[in-house]
Amino acid sequence: MNKHLNLLFLAIENLLRHRAKTVVVCLCLIAILSPFITAITISEGVREQSLISVNAGADLYLTYDEFGRNAAIPLKHLDEIKKIFGVTTVIPRIIGRGFLQNKLAIIVGINKEDIPDSISCVSGRIFENPHEVIVGCELAKHFHLNIGDQFSMRCQQRKVFTVVGFFSSDSSIWGASMIFMSFRDAGELFGKQDVATDIQIHTLPGHNSEIATDLYDIFQNEAYRLQDKQMVELYVKKGFMLKEGIFSALYVVAFALGVPAILVASGFGLSERKKEIGIMKATGWQTLEVLELISMEQLLISFLGATIAIVLSILWVKGFNGAFIAQFFIAEITMLPKFTLPARFLPLPCLLSFFFAFLLTMVGSVYSSWRASTVSPVVSMNS
Amino acid sequence: MIRTEHLCKSYCHHSHYEVRAVYDININISQGSFVVFSGPSGSGKTTLLNIMGTLDRPTAGKVFMYGEEITSFSDIALARLRHKKIGFIFQNFHLIPRLASWENVSYPLIPLGISLKERLERARLLLEKMGLADRLDHAPEELSGGQQQRVAIARALINNPEIIIADEPTSNIDDETSVQIREFLNELKTRGVTILVATHDAMFEKVADVVFKIKNGRIE
Repeated sequence: MNKHLNLLFLAIENLLRHRAKTVVVCLCLIAILSPFITAITISEGVREQSLISVNAGADLYLTYDEFGRNAAIPLKHLDEIKKIFGVTTVIPRIIGRGFLQNKLAIIVGINKEDIPDSISCVSGRIFENPHEVIVGCELAKHFHLNIGDQFSMRCQQRKVFTVVGFFSSDSSIWGASMIFMSFRDAGELFGKQDVATDIQIHTLPGHNSEIATDLYDIFQNEAYRLQDKQMVELYVKKGFMLKEGIFSALYVVAFALGVPAILVASGFGLSERKKEIGIMKATGWQTLEVLELISMEQLLISFLGATIAIVLSILWVKGFNGAFIAQFFIAEITMLPKFTLPARFLPLPCLLSFFFAFLLTMVGSVYSSWRASTVSPVVSMNS
Repeated sequence: MIRTEHLCKSYCHHSHYEVRAVYDININISQGSFVVFSGPSGSGKTTLLNIMGTLDRPTAGKVFMYGEEITSFSDIALARLRHKKIGFIFQNFHLIPRLASWENVSYPLIPLGISLKERLERARLLLEKMGLADRLDHAPEELSGGQQQRVAIARALINNPEIIIADEPTSNIDDETSVQIREFLNELKTRGVTILVATHDAMFEKVADVVFKIKNGRIE
């Protein structure tokens, strides 16, 4: 035990002695690991928020199907759907996008009694009269909007809306650029009357398959699309996996560039190291003891590099709100997000970072050290 | 104690031709003797000492130590043998840069699991004996050549070896320190330590029990 402790203390001393090399390797590790951890953290945060939204949403989503994609659905069958056994609530919605000045906003048209519980007014009131809207806090902050202010959207400038309240949402991403208005106003804004982008159907547990059969009878030859909560959840997860996959692919390229940097850095002072190993061997050190010392040094430097990378990632997400990296995961946001970015630090990516760091530094040092410690001490000492 | 039989070492130079460093060396060294290998540069003194000290392997021939043929030993067994029995003093000191003198001296004790306190104490005693009590915390870069060689000698002695192998121990240092080192090695010999020295320094021949003259890799 004392032997291993001695080696550990010597490893610490060696890292301090070869300060330049330690700093360079650490910086390389941080440069590689910090964006990785930050990206995974943001991705996990966004995924969690998305799943919360899906879980809080309806049991079934009904749309028309045009060219294999979701399309607006007419409201002519609304009453029939409401009468299906097992259906508790039917909510038609219009979800669209429009520019408010130069900023893209999400427009949600919904009857005021159908506004989800996750949307709560932090000031003002819910819209009651035509042309009244409530605006997400982040968007309001961005445009310095006050209650009573009026604005029009770029797509329909003759139609003027009045801000009557501000809301916050459980989900900072969706709430950030959202405007809620009545279903009718949204229809007028987009020039589409008596259609909804989708109809949310809340059901009693265990009735979905019977409801699906009844909907089939109602719509008969019409091309419609019915998705349940599990399917939506699956799409969300798949979407994030795709985004993470693209990021990972980009990251592999960065990694491929980072590895040689680490290798060069680890080979820093290689000739001095070889001489040291030769001296160690000449004074009776065993090859395994030399390798144990080198491994401990790599373990310590990996631990140090990965820890700093994690701390910097926390700072990047919490302090700088995921600047420059969040746009990989959240569509249509700027390099500096204006809303509080969702983030979720999981232990697995952090552990993986330690593992990657250790692997990288070991690849950079162990072979050369092993070579130096298996040749004659004379050869290593005189290299 | 140390015996060689038809010891040869040759190097291939760029795979084109062979250079014989030592050839057909047959010597017998008894315990506690002071043996000097003298000869011109490139004669093969260092190679012979390296092979006898287990730092290098011969191309042909055998080395016996304490009656055992050590040329067939594994690397692990050779490292163990070096650890227990042999101390080395090199021409260019081979101290580890930026490590304090006492740390350099006690370096061989680290894998033995000896505590920091004991290592420091043992290194301190040896460095005091070498006249370097005030240089305990100095790195090699802060020491003169003579002082560095004395640190290297202290390191060679830290495990109480039975054999000291010194390769040109006085070639890079001043005359005064050379005298001290010769006297110190002679004192070790009186304590029963076997001393093998490769040197140009004719003064060593005066204190040696046996002198082997080496020329072109062969004993004359």
